[in-house]
Amino acid sequence: MLKNIQEWTLLLCIFGISALFGNWLGYDTAPMTAVPGMIVLILICLAGFILSDLIPIQFPSVAYIAIIGILVSMPWTPGAEYIVTWTNEIELLALTTPILAYAGISIGRSWADFARLGWRTLIVASLVLLGTFIGSALIAEVVLRFQGII
Amino acid sequence: MASDKAYGLWKDWKLHVVVLGIVIIAESIGQFSFTIGPGVVLLLPMLYAIVIGLVVFFTPFISEKQAKNAEPLIVLGVALLLAKIGVIIGPSLPEIIAAGPALLLQELGNLGTIFLALPIAIMLGLRREAIGMTHSVAREPNVGLIMDKFGINSPEGRGVMAVYIFGTVFGAVFMGLIAGFLATLTPLSPLSFAMASGIGSGSMMAAASGSLVGSFPEMEDSIVAFAGASNLLSLSTGLYLSIFVGLPLTEKLYAFMMRRKERKNNA
Repeated sequence: MLKNIQEWTLLLCIFGISALFGNWLGYDTAPMTAVPGMIVLILICLAGFILSDLIPIQFPSVAYIAIIGILVSMPWTPGAEYIVTWTNEIELLALTTPILAYAGISIGRSWADFARLGWRTLIVASLVLLGTFIGSALIAEVVLRFQGII
Repeated sequence: MASDKAYGLWKDWKLHVVVLGIVIIAESIGQFSFTIGPGVVLLLPMLYAIVIGLVVFFTPFISEKQAKNAEPLIVLGVALLLAKIGVIIGPSLPEIIAAGPALLLQELGNLGTIFLALPIAIMLGLRREAIGMTHSVAREPNVGLIMDKFGINSPEGRGVMAVYIFGTVFGAVFMGLIAGFLATLTPLSPLSFAMASGIGSGSMMAAASGSLVGSFPEMEDSIVAFAGASNLLSLSTGLYLSIFVGLPLTEKLYAFMMRRKERKNNA
């Protein structure tokens, strides 16, 4: 357990450093301004990993993390305004860039399989993503309009 | 957790330095956009990052081992992303609760793949592979479902693996390009597309909602909150939707279309 926490912390910090660089170059937020927000996000992740380790039911750790993030930043939580102010300094897109950089490196391993897919697969797979995306957007649009939200 | 087994991933400094380099290059290039008709295609640093990452894989900087080590790092990065999404959802919680009915019902829209992709797959001459391919977006839980039901060497199993590989390699880029484009092209609200972005894959959700944020920066918090909430719902309900609705519906529609095809051929 301790060894896990140590490993998670180190890796999250390494990832955080890359994201802080991106946050600085892409969105003009100096790393020192963004550090408190990054520490908060790392602590939320650690809490989620530890919880999912301690609680024996099968529930993805990322879901714990999202729920903890929601709980600590709700308008009713004392001190939430600090969490929100600090984490606002971290751009969402600054986090997605390193994720997709790691993803790009790791998908290299699937490239040979990808190159072997036929043209029919490419068409159908594109339509699978497109159909899911448009299907959900259409239903959301109808319900949101019906509710008068948009 | 993916890092349970592998210790010392932090020591793979070569991998982390390469990623830091990719991030620096990608963010320095910055955003570009171009228009196709009335729609806008947005090129974001995250898209350059995935392409540069893939190119680097084929250089001597990166070995098979590093590519393997990169996988748990994606999971950790998505964890940080979800923490960030959590703290965006928190303050907007009243807004999310108000939009609850839309959020829940749009999950059914994930069945849209069956109605769009299955008929075309059959038209293209695919057979039982089409069931595996089109019953869902084919992320990990659905690959498991198909393997469990039909077996790894069945046509259905080959189909789901093909779409899984496509999604792994091309999904984020594809969603990143079409999300902003469709939101600027169609009259639908960016908030509807934000909900649609949560299809149960962290990197695809990140790419789709990121491209929506890039196109509509003034709506950033609502877009991220809706996309994140919808992705959480997809993660927790998606497999059950597939087991009880998606897969049976795909098989029924497949049988129906094949019968019609046969009758046509006999006539």
